[in-house]
Amino acid sequence: MIIEIAAQGGFGGMAAARLRKTIDVDDQPEQMRQELCDAFGPDELARLARQPCGACADRMTYRITVTEDCESHSFTLHEQQIPPEMLDLIDQM
Amino acid sequence: MCFLLNSSHHHSIHCIVPPYMLRVLALRGDPRTAEMARTLLKQTEKLRDERAELTRAGLPPDQPLGGAYATSAVTPAKDLCCPDRRIHDGQFRAALPGKLVRSEGQDPTGIADADTAYDAAGQVFSLFAEEYGRNSLDGEGMPLIATVHHRRDYNNAFWNGTQMAYGTGDGKIFRTFLELSVIGHEMAHGVIQHSGGLIYENQSGALNESIADVFGSLALQRALGQEVHQADWLVGRGILGPGINGVALRSMKAPGTAYADDLLGQDPQPWHMDHFVTTTDDNGGVHINSGIPNHAFYLFCAYLGGRSWELPGRVWYRALQTLNNPMASFSDWADQTMDSAIELAGRGSIETVMLRRAWKLVGIAI
Ligand SMILES: [Zn+2]
Repeated sequence: MIIEIAAQGGFGGMAAARLRKTIDVDDQPEQMRQELCDAFGPDELARLARQPCGACADRMTYRITVTEDCESHSFTLHEQQIPPEMLDLIDQM
Repeated sequence: MCFLLNSSHHHSIHCIVPPYMLRVLALRGDPRTAEMARTLLKQTEKLRDERAELTRAGLPPDQPLGGAYATSAVTPAKDLCCPDRRIHDGQFRAALPGKLVRSEGQDPTGIADADTAYDAAGQVFSLFAEEYGRNSLDGEGMPLIATVHHRRDYNNAFWNGTQMAYGTGDGKIFRTFLELSVIGHEMAHGVIQHSGGLIYENQSGALNESIADVFGSLALQRALGQEVHQADWLVGRGILGPGINGVALRSMKAPGTAYADDLLGQDPQPWHMDHFVTTTDDNGGVHINSGIPNHAFYLFCAYLGGRSWELPGRVWYRALQTLNNPMASFSDWADQTMDSAIELAGRGSIETVMLRRAWKLVGIAI
């Protein structure tokens, strides 16, 4: 499973300062692999994308694409829709 | 300084330090002085309330402002006193608010970011309280909750509806977010939210951003005691990484000139409606088109001279309290600032002439 994350927005509003990360889950140590699979499963991402987004001043937006078995799913999530543990995972990538 | 006299009938406080000074002491004094000032303020306010109840007896309450989104914060809060700051250390994780490291009145922690967040929150509270009569972000004394060290290498600062959060920056693009104009900006988002709000997309979103920049800049200018021509009118001065070619994140005096860098590109802010940017990114360019109302505010201040947080700040603050339109366009906002200027400076005053000129120069006719 490949996870691609592109972040934009935030206080700076700088298009050029976009963060991009790509991670091949199969290359990760066992524990990390399990955590990533749980957090970034397409069903879980779809559930998060349906959460209300609330106050959004200066928040970032994440475009997350998960590719597995030649199939890709993309989701746009606001920072405040993503649970803190998942944001910590993104920061560790 | 103050004498608490005990008589057989009642306690009465004879204090030569006026409430205004007490507020300053509560904000800036060392912990013991601040605690003393807070205690005295509570006592004088209780006394004032008792007096007010006597003298106001039978009179109707102050006329509230009309409109579902208008707030009552135009009239100074009567129990306005001191901030209730609560600074947390996020310990580089995303969970909020994190570990409480400094509460109101406590000594510095030695954690530089936490102490800056504490001091700056006090300065922003003081701007809204002492200049505009507003008691904290909600007008009702809500605690000022902030988290520093939010996430790892996090290039952002935000207001989440109930608190502020500041990253450390990744050291490349940003080196910090703990700078007074940035902190004032985030706290102003709280004020805007509790003043009827401005929907965070397109023109109303760019107004939300611009008003946050205005009060962030005013907090800094006031703290430095700068008049309009002494101020740099930069938002986020010095927060960009050491290798970035730029002085700040935004310039209200010259939008579009804050940075020009190989990595970041050119500061995209316009200063005139002719260059309004239509985009779906950044909630419809809220951090881009805010350059236009930002520049109008700067021009208004520059034409008048003097201290920008005084009349110009009061005009903008009053307009925010009376706007009653979360979907306001730039033009709606310009009209509202004119109504406020008329109320505060008089119809036909030089101030209203200069305000009209400022809006005209950025391409907005009122
Ligand atoms: Zn903002």
